[in-house]
Amino acid sequence: MRKLLTTTAIAAVALMALSGCSTRTDTTSGSSAAAGFPADSLIGVALPSKTSENWVLAGGLFEDGLKAAGFKGDVQYAGASTTVKDQQDQISAMVTKGAKVIIIGAADGGQLGTQAKAAHDAGAIVIAYDRLILNTDNVDYYVAYDNFKVGELQGQALLDGLKAKKPAGPYNIELFSGSSDDANAPVFFNGAMSVLQPKIDDGTLVVGSGQTDIKQTATAGWKAENAQSRMDSLLTSTYGAKAIDGVLSPNDTLARAIITSVKAAGKPIPVVTGQDSEAESVKSIMAGEQYSTINKDTRVLVAQAIDMAKVLQKGKTPEVNDTKSYDNGKKIVPAFLLPPVIVTKANAAEAYANDPKLSPLTK
Amino acid sequence: MSAETSPRGGLRDLKKIFGGGSSNVRQFGILFSLIAIILLFQFLTNGLTLSSGNLINLVSQYSYILILAIGMVMVIIAGHIDLSVGSIAAFAGIVVATAMQEWNLPWPLAILLGLVVGALIGAWQGFWVAYIGVPAFIVTLAGMLIWRGGNQVIGNANTVPVPDGFTVIGSGYLPEVGPFTGYNNLTLLLGLVIAAAVVLVEWRARRVQKIMGSDPAPLWVSILKVVLLDAVVIYATVLFAGGRAGTSFPVSGIILGVLVLFYSFITRNTIFGRHVYAVGGNKLAAELSGVKSRRVNFLVMMNMSILASLAGMIFVARSVASGPQDGLSWELDAIAAVFIGGAAVSGGIGTVTGSIVGGLVMAVLNNGLQLLGVGADRVQIIKGLVLLIAVGVDVWNKSQGRPSLIGFLTRKSKTGEFPSEPPAVIPTSGTPDSARPSDNPS
Repeated sequence: MRKLLTTTAIAAVALMALSGCSTRTDTTSGSSAAAGFPADSLIGVALPSKTSENWVLAGGLFEDGLKAAGFKGDVQYAGASTTVKDQQDQISAMVTKGAKVIIIGAADGGQLGTQAKAAHDAGAIVIAYDRLILNTDNVDYYVAYDNFKVGELQGQALLDGLKAKKPAGPYNIELFSGSSDDANAPVFFNGAMSVLQPKIDDGTLVVGSGQTDIKQTATAGWKAENAQSRMDSLLTSTYGAKAIDGVLSPNDTLARAIITSVKAAGKPIPVVTGQDSEAESVKSIMAGEQYSTINKDTRVLVAQAIDMAKVLQKGKTPEVNDTKSYDNGKKIVPAFLLPPVIVTKANAAEAYANDPKLSPLTK
Repeated sequence: MSAETSPRGGLRDLKKIFGGGSSNVRQFGILFSLIAIILLFQFLTNGLTLSSGNLINLVSQYSYILILAIGMVMVIIAGHIDLSVGSIAAFAGIVVATAMQEWNLPWPLAILLGLVVGALIGAWQGFWVAYIGVPAFIVTLAGMLIWRGGNQVIGNANTVPVPDGFTVIGSGYLPEVGPFTGYNNLTLLLGLVIAAAVVLVEWRARRVQKIMGSDPAPLWVSILKVVLLDAVVIYATVLFAGGRAGTSFPVSGIILGVLVLFYSFITRNTIFGRHVYAVGGNKLAAELSGVKSRRVNFLVMMNMSILASLAGMIFVARSVASGPQDGLSWELDAIAAVFIGGAAVSGGIGTVTGSIVGGLVMAVLNNGLQLLGVGADRVQIIKGLVLLIAVGVDVWNKSQGRPSLIGFLTRKSKTGEFPSEPPAVIPTSGTPDSARPSDNPS
């Protein structure tokens, strides 16, 4: 026993001593974009927790797409309860493993500065996927759907839906926005308000509760339960006697929560917008409950991100189409924006024609 | 204890590497598991686990959880629990971040403000636990809600960035000074100091043992202990000092190290520390012996909140911003570390170093699984099972009258004696086993 212990201990130390050596070099690694990197390099993909269908779908697409492109892919989701910390640790682990490009769908875009810097210092290129990474110089590209446009389309859909339902105003509406720790949430909201505010000002639209500030309308964590309970309270406080005509909802999960709340209160379902083309919401649209959603085809977005990695691998600069809008507090991040598409019952079949999962639902 | 000579004397001497006393056998088991896990992952990840970059990550990723574990073990020894630490961390974090952003408070003052906030919260919770007598579970469950809500009220559920100066406590490293050696010179210096301290401490312990007439362990045990520890220290130093230029031993790791030394001393060698064990072991007996149990409970709860606010600030500094989700489920990580490190749910048993080792087990496990690319969902399952098995093995062995599996292997010949040895009177190895209020006539 004694010999065994001693031998193990000595072996352990010897093993440690053998494997240790300084990885330090005198030169700091500069921008590696010019040089490119081997075609079978590791590409890290850090995604937030699996709270919406989109992220689950994106993970699978990244795995397949990176493999098909010849890269080694490392796709990670953060745990549901400790999203931010998990994601920080996962990105650090990717840096340790020597990833050349790290694609990040941020859980909280404001809290990844240290990891983005570590990635950059190690020579990796950081691409913000769908959500911008804030307050750091160390993010190279941003690839996303044009989220202000998404908001505009949502606002327009709400107006169209209301008009179709009842030819003349005034309409009673309520506003919902996304989680305040998501940099996209205000972009959606401001986009929608750019369409809705003039109509609120001229009295066509009436926000019954008077809650038009993004702080009042926020839905913490994009959680359905939070939207549902806020809707419950709104119905009780404001819509005891009058009818509610429309609700601006930033995404499908929240839209369905809002509809659930209205149904539970025994009220007729108002015009509710959405986003993300979740299967349940497409069904709901076809059944005439939810009014609209936005099709931001995750396939196209993932393919775009992987294309960027491919271009970077060859040592070239990827194409961007917006170099002024996305200021993250430290720099203007060059962005490639894809155009979103509004989907209602009328154009659903056409919009999802190429989607094997959604197109059967529209028939 | 060293007076008894058994046929297995050599092995018993070897065990003195980990100090005397029966609870050390448990720590020996946990330490052994930690080494095994490190080596396992070192093998599975092709050497990435013990690479410079990863070790540095490991320290900066888990230092704040380990800081919480220090406070938590004292709370648990005193027979309480604290569920509010994550929320307190988040609250202190947002107060500090907002103060710096809105009032342009200089960052050293902001850190002070954070600690004051922690102390006030701690005094509030300590008051309810110690003087009103509400169970700590309830008080801190309330605290968990109150301070989480407070975080969102102050921050409007927003993410508030912090200035660069502040980030040094969470993502700063020992600076580069002196000539270029291929290593970070300050880290090398730190390593040398620690290596020298190891030798000095062992030498002093032997001297004190001699003066006190106690029979010290054979010289070869001391030498082996020093050689092993110094080998680990030097190896770690080389790794920490040899990371990518600009990185070295993290500042948060230094804060952690200082706290570990400080609180190990407090719990082992001060009257207050012994009183914590006394109150947790048997409150009535402690009170009859003159221990002011209310004051002890109050201070233990307050101390936890101060450490929680420090942990929160380190996390904010590392994340360069304070967010509404900071500190979620940290309390559970800290509590898990403490129990894996050998503390007893009923109170009265546990050590600071044990909890740190327990926390490191979780940290290395988490980190290793991440390096292997195991998803967060499965990592949670594995961590849950490890916690259950670690504590389960321990409890089962105790119910069998044996201290632990490893303890069983090493003490097979003398099962009837447990619990036999009084905790050692030797200063360096005086890790407390149980409440012994009579030790501290006050």
